[in-house]
Amino acid sequence: MRETWVVGAASTRYGKLGESAREAATRVALEAIRDAGLGPKDVGHTFVANCFGLTEHQGHLGPLVNNGLGVPEVPSVSVESACSSSSAALHEAFVHVAGGFEDVALVVGVERLGHLDTLAATGYFAYAADYPFEARNGATFPGLYATLANAYRAEYRTTPEMLGAVAVKNHANAARNPKAHFQKEISMETYLGSPVVAAPLRLYDCCPFSDGASAVVVAAREAIRAPPNEPLVVRASVRAGAVTALQDRRDLVGLPSSRLAAEKAFRQAKLTPAQIDFLEVHDCFTIAELMALEDLGFYPRGTAGRAALDGATARDGKLPVNPSGGLKAKGHPVSATGAGQVVEIFEQFNGRAGKRAVPRTGTALAHNVGATGGSCSIHIFARR
Amino acid sequence: MTDPAPLRSHSVDDFVRAYENDRRLRGFRCGRCGATTATWGLACSRCGEAALEEAQLPENGRVIAGTIVAVASEEFVNEAPYAYVVVELEGGARVSGWMPGVRSEDEIAPGTRVRFQPSYKPGVQFARWNASGDDTGR
Repeated sequence: MRETWVVGAASTRYGKLGESAREAATRVALEAIRDAGLGPKDVGHTFVANCFGLTEHQGHLGPLVNNGLGVPEVPSVSVESACSSSSAALHEAFVHVAGGFEDVALVVGVERLGHLDTLAATGYFAYAADYPFEARNGATFPGLYATLANAYRAEYRTTPEMLGAVAVKNHANAARNPKAHFQKEISMETYLGSPVVAAPLRLYDCCPFSDGASAVVVAAREAIRAPPNEPLVVRASVRAGAVTALQDRRDLVGLPSSRLAAEKAFRQAKLTPAQIDFLEVHDCFTIAELMALEDLGFYPRGTAGRAALDGATARDGKLPVNPSGGLKAKGHPVSATGAGQVVEIFEQFNGRAGKRAVPRTGTALAHNVGATGGSCSIHIFARR
Repeated sequence: MTDPAPLRSHSVDDFVRAYENDRRLRGFRCGRCGATTATWGLACSRCGEAALEEAQLPENGRVIAGTIVAVASEEFVNEAPYAYVVVELEGGARVSGWMPGVRSEDEIAPGTRVRFQPSYKPGVQFARWNASGDDTGR
């Protein structure tokens, strides 16, 4: 396996896109390629992530991105893995580059939901669950995570303030991120006063429906002579799956695919959680951040809520978690989210994170979940 | 792994028709590990065994976990708020369903007894039920 780097990264602001998914994807792709000091003709293969393009009456986005970049002959493939689509695309790019099939690969994730109303968007999100056996029985996406939250609360004391601490922290980080969907801090009072969406989850426990596009360029170390930026060395790129319907899981505390992916990732990276400086984890709902920190082995089961309350996971805490603002406040443009986490890590490593810079940037982990954990990707990065 | 058993009716729609039209919960029992499931598949999601036997699932069970859905999807928008629950039926199979009119988390605490309640509305529906047999739902 060849040493593989992330050499360039770019992202739109998350929130509302003033253009189509196709335009946004092509624009960030070009920006990421230039950020890497390369040109479109250097790209050997494009991996596009997009879930809801058909709502814009457009599928088969890969060739359109390559056409727009002026390299229609470059092969492309679309990758769909719900909310983990672009980390799945990154994994495919890694496999191609590390395996020696390509020297340079482009990963671009894009989603546009802003043209749909909340009702329609809620419905589309529910399609990523087991539709006939969950959504048809009344499940919504927040409802499924609320069910997981209540299974967790039944085992471990979890106060509303513990969930609120995650929301307050991630909003504080997003307020320092000019690309974030919500660039405002919230207070615990605001959190506690927000309406319930699916008990115990309130409005401020939930990520927003965001539009956005993020892209990263992956290259073999031997193909890059003088990288213009500090590359991220990919120390682990793994995926794991799990039974989709919650009813068929033996255990509803945490996500089995997160645990399995973490085990594989730390083994591949030859690192332990104690050696990771900061994380971007999948916090589609506040409870998901607590479950992730425990599933990944950073905190013993039942203790991540206390850590959030104590500020341990704040930007300047012992283990900064979601310095970007996370899905919760930076935003969650479904298929852009996984690549966007890597854009954040790239910016942190390269001193481009401005006011949200974390203290240590030697190693980082990105954790991205598909829906309620039917899929999970973990990437671990280090410096050269 | 043995070849899939020749199941007579073996589609997702058969499962849905069973609970929506035929007023029964359909499931599979694994011929190897004995796990029962209310979810369609060609092999057991626990052990991979392909020899699944069709099983009629019991109607009574207990809540494992659930929520009160306040913001519903389009199909359920006129029903909100309602409870969404994962239920363990007697015998161990788990099925998810919804409970019209249930608006308090206290009513779906883990361990709460519920019973499958067929109705003209879509999806698997449950109602609270106590040991004396009285329907305490709504």
